[in-house]
Amino acid sequence: MSSGLQLAADAADKVPAPSIEYGKLSPMLIVFGIAVAGVLVEAFVPRKARYVTHLVVALGGMAAAFGAVLALIPGVKDSGGEIAAVGAVAVDGPTLFLQGTLLLLGIVSVLLMAERKLEPGGDAFAPQAAAAPGSAQEKEAAAAGLRQTEVYPLAMFALGGMLLFPAANDLLTLFVALEVMSLPLYLLCGLARRRRLLSQEAALKYFLLGAFSSAFFLFGVALLYGYSGSVRLDRIAVATGGAMDNDALLLIGLAMVAVGLLFKVGAVPFHSWTPDVYQGAPTPITGFMASATKVAAFGALLRFFYVALPGMKWDWRPMMTGVAIVTMVVGAVIAITQTDVKRMLAYSSIAHAGFILTGMIAANEAGASSTLFYLVAYGFVTLGAFAVVTLVRDAGGEATHLSRWAGLGRRSPLVAGVFAVFLLAFAGIPLTSGFSGKFAVFQAAADGGAGSLVIVGVLCSAIAAFFYVRVIVLMFFSEPRADGPTVVVPSVMTTAAIALGVTVTVVLGIVPQPVLDLADKAALFVH
Amino acid sequence: MNLYAPILALGGIAAAFGVVSLVAGALTGPKRYNRAKLEAYECGIEPTPQPAGGGRFPVKYYLTAMLFIIFDIEIVFLYPWAVYFDSLGIFGLVEMALFIATVFVAYAYLWRRGGLEWD
Amino acid sequence: MSQRLAELAATTDLAADPVGFASDPWWLILFKAVLVFAFCVVMTLFAIWWERKVVAWMQMRIGPKHVGPQGLLQSLADGVKLAFKEDIIVKAADKPVYILAPVVSMVPAFMAFAVIPMGGQVSMFGHQTHLQLTDLPVGVLYILATASVGIYGIVLAGWSSGSTYPLLGSLRSTAQMISYEVAMGLSFAGVFLYSGSMSTSTIVGQQGDTWFAVLLPVSFIIYIVAMVGETNRAPFDLPEAEGELVGGFHTEYSSLKFALFFLAEYVNMVVVSSLATTLFLGGYRAPWPITAVWDGANSGWWTLLWYFLKVQLFLFLFIWLRGTLPRLRYDQFMRLGWKVLIPTSLVWLMLIATVRAMKNEGYDYRGIVLGIAGAIIAILVLSVVWDMFRGTDDEEEKAKAAQPPPGAPGAAEPFDPMAGGFPVPPLPGQELPPVPRRAVRRAEPVGAMVGNGNGTGSADDESATDATDKEV
Repeated sequence: MSSGLQLAADAADKVPAPSIEYGKLSPMLIVFGIAVAGVLVEAFVPRKARYVTHLVVALGGMAAAFGAVLALIPGVKDSGGEIAAVGAVAVDGPTLFLQGTLLLLGIVSVLLMAERKLEPGGDAFAPQAAAAPGSAQEKEAAAAGLRQTEVYPLAMFALGGMLLFPAANDLLTLFVALEVMSLPLYLLCGLARRRRLLSQEAALKYFLLGAFSSAFFLFGVALLYGYSGSVRLDRIAVATGGAMDNDALLLIGLAMVAVGLLFKVGAVPFHSWTPDVYQGAPTPITGFMASATKVAAFGALLRFFYVALPGMKWDWRPMMTGVAIVTMVVGAVIAITQTDVKRMLAYSSIAHAGFILTGMIAANEAGASSTLFYLVAYGFVTLGAFAVVTLVRDAGGEATHLSRWAGLGRRSPLVAGVFAVFLLAFAGIPLTSGFSGKFAVFQAAADGGAGSLVIVGVLCSAIAAFFYVRVIVLMFFSEPRADGPTVVVPSVMTTAAIALGVTVTVVLGIVPQPVLDLADKAALFVH
Repeated sequence: MNLYAPILALGGIAAAFGVVSLVAGALTGPKRYNRAKLEAYECGIEPTPQPAGGGRFPVKYYLTAMLFIIFDIEIVFLYPWAVYFDSLGIFGLVEMALFIATVFVAYAYLWRRGGLEWD
Repeated sequence: MSQRLAELAATTDLAADPVGFASDPWWLILFKAVLVFAFCVVMTLFAIWWERKVVAWMQMRIGPKHVGPQGLLQSLADGVKLAFKEDIIVKAADKPVYILAPVVSMVPAFMAFAVIPMGGQVSMFGHQTHLQLTDLPVGVLYILATASVGIYGIVLAGWSSGSTYPLLGSLRSTAQMISYEVAMGLSFAGVFLYSGSMSTSTIVGQQGDTWFAVLLPVSFIIYIVAMVGETNRAPFDLPEAEGELVGGFHTEYSSLKFALFFLAEYVNMVVVSSLATTLFLGGYRAPWPITAVWDGANSGWWTLLWYFLKVQLFLFLFIWLRGTLPRLRYDQFMRLGWKVLIPTSLVWLMLIATVRAMKNEGYDYRGIVLGIAGAIIAILVLSVVWDMFRGTDDEEEKAKAAQPPPGAPGAAEPFDPMAGGFPVPPLPGQELPPVPRRAVRRAEPVGAMVGNGNGTGSADDESATDATDKEV
């Protein structure tokens, strides 16, 4: 049997082992590690101790991962970034900047998820997610005071995927990260304690549309691979560098991958899931999704367009300009008609996706750095705003209808004031982080030759400011309703989250320069 | 000849035998109509009326199916690894140990949460 | 590295031909295919007779003996009889699927046989050829694939019958087969590890010195158990549990359609037995003492004899199990598959992989043994420690689970086994009284048995509350 098969069995005939730079991947490895540890906690730690154990593991792990990010910074500063894990992961300035941002946002989100003082029966999550809404089983579970703690490992898995998403240096890793990030989020969306049908509907919609967009993404990857013969971003860049002819394979592949990524950032016309999912998901999860997912997805979008397709700039810029314009206009205009706070914030997030795209389209270094800065600013404002939404409650849970918020400023000036700060930041009023961010992206876009976008962006900011200010007027200048909602005093965790949000918002508004400088230094992609 | 051609030949013979049996069974057997014969058999009681589509499968079976897929994928990774084990060296062993440990974590969770309880 | 991988990929090319099977002319292939088919059918007829004879012998009966010598032609006669029975298609059946299902179930069973090495190289009409229809580099995977397709036949048969028992039977059968396929697949991995190939003929070739059953005893045992589960044979014949499901998925089938299912089942038995022979018992090679005294035992047509004998051994095992063991309950069966076979085979696989890797790296044998023994002892100690600590937590959780949630129906009322004067099962949330009830009976000698409503109720209430107290 002189077969070729036995050749491989020859022990002397070794496959050289690939080298994995575990140190450079440590932030991701730590987060995935604590996610797996969370599953073990769920399996083996007694029910009573699980909550505390999970909190310690998750917060400690994220802090450790943040420490790892900080430890990696000097090396990247010297070398300008390196490709790790046999070309699969790029560890460079944008990666570390976004990973650091994501870990901070993750810590704040976990604090919000861990809040147990607001809801009388427990936390924001269903006592037993497998029970059908309204069934006897569900009532039993609620009466027995069950509280599920699977959200923590799920959130950690999602966060791990998000950390990998902006770092992925080849399209397959990008896809794996996309799925690792999305699948736990689909689940988390369906876990709301109140209005469970709405929540489950949101999860299903998100899942179906997400699966659809993943399919688009994969088809695009296949086409790009067919064109360039590689899934690595730098090799695609080489293959597309001299492409002057309009190769259908390349253009369609580019468009399809872009669809997959734009879906995740919620850009028009791939935004239709956003309002329903943001409304239906448990509010801490909404905050997590709206901030962290967007940060991760924009990171991936930046890397994809800046590293893989710089040679195709003149092909993708018109397309993305169109998307950005439609996104800003649709987000801002439809937000005006919304009567639900969470839906309004959802449309506002769509509009902001448009503003961030404006920075990205600049396609220069300032574009990258301004986008990075905007993502930090936007992430904290969003988390803070959703944190405030969890506080305003009535007998039916969170009072999200805008009319219920009338006169809130007279009853609880502090909460209403904080919310007003966030809204002003959304609107881009000076002395808030929103202004600094918008200024940076518009400036970059103007320098990059996208003047039309800047004009549309400013107009849309004005439209958006209208509905943000309308809420402020509603809160402070109308009579409080007799049966209006009350503001529940949260535990120290939510308080800390909101306080951090306000601090970041104000500090980035008044002295944005250090973070802007940091983003400037971090904005170099490794090829 | 292609290595797969013999499989087709064998499959063809088997299929032909099956079809011939079906036809023969329909032709050679007697046909004596009796309403009771055409009812579904159910131990001497009236057959349970079933919803259109022939009834639904209980959802618990889907859980089994999903577990199967998870472990089957694990096996799919195991086979090529096992075949080339000697050329992969210690690196291969460590990587597979990590992979199996991760699957084991999920398995432990499943077990502790009663996912492996059947009734 | 990528170059090396490409090289590796080239050697596993799906069309690669390890032992020269592609040189057979087409008429020889056709002839061999017919032979294999005939072998399967004859083996089925023989196995049915053999099973009836052996079971009869085990039960001190005679078994079939009228048709042919010693009743050898009995199963053929049964088959012919089935052809002359009415072919009933029940009213509720989904006709096309219902008619096709037996074929779908039977064809893959035969096709799996294509890669089974039944013997070494022989001369056939002047051609040197193997007693094996074809040999794929992924032969064992191919067998797994055909086995999976065969499951479709069973699912479709049960579903299309439009009847409750077949539906349940087919579901059980599917759940059972996919559960045991995992354990089966994991037991193969050990064989691949040692043989470095998935081709059946190469695996047989690798067992020249030692059978894999000796090298991999745990894999072998797991495969034997999984093999019985995979073919739905006693004691794992739950899909056809007469007491519960009448006939399982083929309840509504009659005439030759029924015969086809029967054929599929027995061909499957022969296939898994052949696979066990191939992977673990050295295939068509002669067992050790014979090879020591006779050099020619491993050549020519003699190999077919060894193969046949080994397969008969496994078929006998099947029959022996059926004659001896009672049927498992469904949950026991699934527990065995998921909680015993799968973890055991995974741990075993990692164990042999570690040993092999250390051997490859040049560690000496004693060091390996000591290391492994140390690891096993460490795990045992850890599990003992874990058990000591777990006790309290576990009971606590159980007590919590046992406590009926407030507001659940029936939780408030204690269990009355003779409610309304009839023996009744407990409602949800109620506890059964503990099993040894002698004390209770002594306390109330007559009333408990006669069961006049309230009197027995109170007596059993006490025991029921005792039980819950103990649990807490």
